[in-house]
Amino acid sequence: MSAKARAAAPATRTGNPIRDSALGLVPETVAEIVALNGAVWQKSLVSPTLLEMIRLRNARTVNCVYCKAVRYEVARADGLTEARAAMIDAGYQESALSAREKLAIALADAYLGFPAGVTADLAARLAREFSAEQIASLFVALVTFNFTSRTAVSIGGMPADPLPVMLVPAASTLD
Amino acid sequence: MDAPTFPTSLNIDRSLALAGAPAASFARLWQSLWVQPYITAALLELCRLTLARLHQDELELAASNPHVEPGALPRERRDPVLAGAADKSAAFTASEKAVLLFAECYGLDPQSIPDPVADEVSACLGEAGLVFLIEALGCIDGRIRTARCLRDLARFAPAREDAHVG
Repeated sequence: MSAKARAAAPATRTGNPIRDSALGLVPETVAEIVALNGAVWQKSLVSPTLLEMIRLRNARTVNCVYCKAVRYEVARADGLTEARAAMIDAGYQESALSAREKLAIALADAYLGFPAGVTADLAARLAREFSAEQIASLFVALVTFNFTSRTAVSIGGMPADPLPVMLVPAASTLD
Repeated sequence: MDAPTFPTSLNIDRSLALAGAPAASFARLWQSLWVQPYITAALLELCRLTLARLHQDELELAASNPHVEPGALPRERRDPVLAGAADKSAAFTASEKAVLLFAECYGLDPQSIPDPVADEVSACLGEAGLVFLIEALGCIDGRIRTARCLRDLARFAPAREDAHVG
């Protein structure tokens, strides 16, 4: 990963962490990215815990140091303790996470794999556990988490070492 | 009868609309990628084809992009990209080659994009253009991944039994 930041954040600070990042350099997209992030956390059709689980799974796969350190307060309030967040790792299948949570992580892995794709077995288990609306909701969240973390990695300038856990109110990313 | 429509990066918003407001926002973001001052729609389409090639996704490669004017991508510009040989083609400017090389590196591994490759894009498009390109590639790649998964879910969908009443 490049240690060099390839783009600087805007000089003017707004207090919104997305607008105040290098994404703020692109006025044509930043408002919708802020709106999308807000909509995912406020209007998704699955619980904040499931969202945070797939977000952390994505962060681990993409190796986004910032994303791995962030914890959304709304998921913490929903019951995702740090001990449970630590289970979203290799061997999660044998962890104490629920079957529904493990299935959401499996879907994230299917999306993040190369080539991306869902097996017949996973498709059948997803259909039993989630509605079509909830599966669509998981995909929108996955794409959002994935493209933003890949953006952060591609822009570069991340610390090499892990950062301490940072609690983030979802409201702080809204306008 | 209409031919079946398979999910691709270009049409998944129909399927994702079931998710409601987040999907509507994502669809608006997708539309905005094709009308901005940094990269022409035709060049962004070549980036999409680059990622589709790396995903080895034939349906994605065959899909027709409604955001690109008919005739905007003649074969002499499309074929080298499909063959992974844009860098050797005289059909592209140095700036276009820099963008396509960045897309190739991004598709292989965003963590491993060499600094000179990113610097070249920044020199051609500016920092805002580089950030836009990174965002756009992330959206395209994510939509290709989603489309592949949606296709599998449709293919493996369990046959639904009709409800019997009475």
